[in-house]
Amino acid sequence: MQRQLAALLPQARPAGLGESTLEVAGQGMDAPRLISATVLEGGALRAHRVFGAPATQFRAFLDGTQRSQVASYIGHVPIVLGHAAAVVRERRNRRMHTWDAPVVESRVYCPRAVVGGTVWRSLQAEYGALLVDTSDGDAELTSHPFSLRDAAVHRAQAHREALEQQLAERWCRRERDPLFIDGGISGNEAVAVSSCTVGVVKSHLTLYVEGDGLRVVAELAQGHRSSVFRITSRKRTTVASWYLRLRDPAGHDPMWGLVRVEVAHPAPDAADRIGERADEVSRWILAEVAPLALPDARWDKMVYGVRDCEEFLRAIQ
Amino acid sequence: MSSVLGRVVATERRPNTPHEFHFWTALDSPVGIGTIVRVDGRDPVNGVIPHVYGVVTEGFSWTDLASPLHDVMGFDGQPGSDGAQQTQRAEIRLYTAAVLRHVPEEPLQPVPMGTVLLADESDVAVALRMDGYLREGARTGIPIGVYRAGGTDSPIYLDADFLLGPEAAHLNISGVSGLATKTSAVEWLLQSIFTHFPPQKGSVAAVCFNVKGPDLCFLDQPGEINDADRALYDSCGVSPEPFDRVSYFAPYKSDGVSLNTLRSNDALLENVTALTWGLREVLQYAEVLLNKDDIDAKADALIDFIKENVLDKRFVDPMLERPHTVTSFADLDAWFRDVLRGLEKKDDQSWRTHHVATIRKVRNRLSNISLRCKGLVADDGATSDLPFGSFQDRTVYVIDVAGLEEDAQDLIFARVVTKLREHLEKRDLGVQHVVVFVDELNKYAPADGPETYVRKMLLDIAERGRYLGLVLFAAQQFRSQVHRRVVGNSGTALYGRMDGDELATPGYAVLSPAIKTKLATLEKGQLMVRHPHFTQPIFVRFPRPSIMRGRDGVSRYPQAATPTLHAAVLRTLRALEPSLTLGWLQDVTQLATDDEILRARNDVVRTRPSDVRKAFAAHFRAAVAPRTASRASTPAPLPAVPADDPYGF
Repeated sequence: MQRQLAALLPQARPAGLGESTLEVAGQGMDAPRLISATVLEGGALRAHRVFGAPATQFRAFLDGTQRSQVASYIGHVPIVLGHAAAVVRERRNRRMHTWDAPVVESRVYCPRAVVGGTVWRSLQAEYGALLVDTSDGDAELTSHPFSLRDAAVHRAQAHREALEQQLAERWCRRERDPLFIDGGISGNEAVAVSSCTVGVVKSHLTLYVEGDGLRVVAELAQGHRSSVFRITSRKRTTVASWYLRLRDPAGHDPMWGLVRVEVAHPAPDAADRIGERADEVSRWILAEVAPLALPDARWDKMVYGVRDCEEFLRAIQ
Repeated sequence: MSSVLGRVVATERRPNTPHEFHFWTALDSPVGIGTIVRVDGRDPVNGVIPHVYGVVTEGFSWTDLASPLHDVMGFDGQPGSDGAQQTQRAEIRLYTAAVLRHVPEEPLQPVPMGTVLLADESDVAVALRMDGYLREGARTGIPIGVYRAGGTDSPIYLDADFLLGPEAAHLNISGVSGLATKTSAVEWLLQSIFTHFPPQKGSVAAVCFNVKGPDLCFLDQPGEINDADRALYDSCGVSPEPFDRVSYFAPYKSDGVSLNTLRSNDALLENVTALTWGLREVLQYAEVLLNKDDIDAKADALIDFIKENVLDKRFVDPMLERPHTVTSFADLDAWFRDVLRGLEKKDDQSWRTHHVATIRKVRNRLSNISLRCKGLVADDGATSDLPFGSFQDRTVYVIDVAGLEEDAQDLIFARVVTKLREHLEKRDLGVQHVVVFVDELNKYAPADGPETYVRKMLLDIAERGRYLGLVLFAAQQFRSQVHRRVVGNSGTALYGRMDGDELATPGYAVLSPAIKTKLATLEKGQLMVRHPHFTQPIFVRFPRPSIMRGRDGVSRYPQAATPTLHAAVLRTLRALEPSLTLGWLQDVTQLATDDEILRARNDVVRTRPSDVRKAFAAHFRAAVAPRTASRASTPAPLPAVPADDPYGF
């Protein structure tokens, strides 16, 4: 691509080879926050022990990856090449196989408003529909190179989420068995209301608890969950969620082995059974604590099926 | 058409080369060490899609674990808690294969990326270059066994031109004892050779030395085989029958009466012949029995003198008391005694340039031979030998030396092989090719130790025998203990189950650890084959020979009890004249000594006269026929008294 850009835009300056991806370079840039949520189960958020033996119910796991790198600079403006992919890995006889087909796509990210019309038209002629304007609809975008770069990363992230939702939707149309989705499910309505999807979020930059609830979550013991609460967002579908401790946090930070689970919000007539649903799904998730997802650094929160998805995507990308 | 079972992979750290490649397979793939596979390349080279054939030499497996400790943690330190694992870790089966052949051969490139298929029967033929000698009209293939992998059963052929000459020759087989591999494999291969040796290449026979137990004593008797063996026979186009033409040769025991063989049961003696040699036969190979310490230049000169001037000639010398005609060890000893007596009388130290000490030494050593090889060497010069000059096609000649002293074994081996060589050189042996099977080769051609006549002879056969049609099939437990030039000249090498220590020797360094492991665990009936046409060793299965096993034969045909002298002689003579009876023999020999009877027997066996009865009886003094005393009818009259008898009354 660097050669293409050099031929296309003589002023383009190739970025250094071997630089880490923008996702790695930009890790931890988002600010942590606390958001209050309405508890659906009982009055106040509290810890619940998940009774019953772990049960193997998930038939498949869904995850996606993204990878973006600066290909060249035009002046101070980065032209970013991003790859996004998603896959559903189905478990058959305890072995993982690819369900349907993985989706792998690439995009070229460039802020049209910053690079100017000539450059944009040249890029559009070369890359057509693959070209994405990172300045489109972002009124706050500045010309700072880091800001431009982050905009590209966010677009790549959105692209990855779209691919994941595309596959999840396909699963919901064709299958009835539970699908373990790495990440939230609220971004797509069809997925968010489906009874066969379970989203498991490992990142806790946003915590949906405040006050005493935060202490409850931080002190959850292994095999315990929090009360179910509702997550509502303007841009997302409302879902039911709870925190679940997968592993014993002794000797680790409060977030160690902690995941947040998202399932479809219960219908009004089933609202009183949301606790049972949370226990059931929690047992499914606790059944996935082995084998360990090592050597992935997030192995305390990651289940092996998700690691398998990531390994698969790493191999085919 | 085989289905795809793997894909070629190459990485910077593990690249493919023209002689080696790597591929992965599904976990349930039938591929294993020794499996032959075909790679179909992706991209044409010079307009042709390349195909590469290889044999799997190494296998690897691993999971996505970075450290074994992670697995311990995953199981919480409890190895039996597998039920908690809902998902099996991602796992790989990666194989390394050694290239057998590229098609097309040029340009020779690294193995391309492509799909990997299990080789079918036609692929195996191409991979091992057997297609070159299995063509109709020019077929020289000798089945050695069946290659079996993933449902493919493919006969593997050796090229007769490279097994029995002239291109290459000889076969060497190694393996630990007691697993019915070495001897069985040779028996099976001889059956295969006798069935498939191409007619245009002439006739072939085998001479087998039975060096231990009853191994080769029942080659003409049917053995028990199962259906799997029959299927292997069928695949290889060989009839599951014992050898139909076998001749056995065995010397006598030291008593000179009974044969020194485990095949002594009366029911099997029809094709057993005594092996006896006289002074002439032995003296020709004196150096086999006399080591360097015995034979210095002076002693050698005296032996030559005896061979040239004394043996089978009338020898006269003024010093000697009488003329001598030396034809036996007994005659030779008499000659020595006369010579030494003459020297003592003359009080001289030398005779005809030979010092008395040398004469005594040679006498001592040569006289010793008849004692050390008693039963084989006849004092009387009688000879009963292999049918040199009239060998028969597809016939096995077994010489049973199992019960003999080492010296006698060496003597038999040296003389028989030398005679075979002489006759093959003159093209008058009766067959054009002879396979000589020798077990325990490490004893006859050791890698180290003194230079012996037998070892020199084996080296000579190994290096030059193929031009003559004299082919050595040799077996030993430890190949590393055999002289390098002998094993090195074996065009074909077979390996049964091997000992771990042996596999650790440098001679096996070219084999991968997986191949070594497979060799160390081979089942009965499996062999690894190296042959000039095969660029890599190949594993095959061969059937249990349809021949009675030695220990079965011994229990079914127990050894005959040691016969009386008369019974033993009668048994021998009856082979020539079945009408003879024990009563007749006892009558004829009633006044003879044991030695005289044996000498007569040996003479008859050697000369094979038309009238055995007459020829045998001629050796003995005629006993006076018994006559009944008869009384005269009238008593003889008393003589008349003389008239002048002074005592007359």
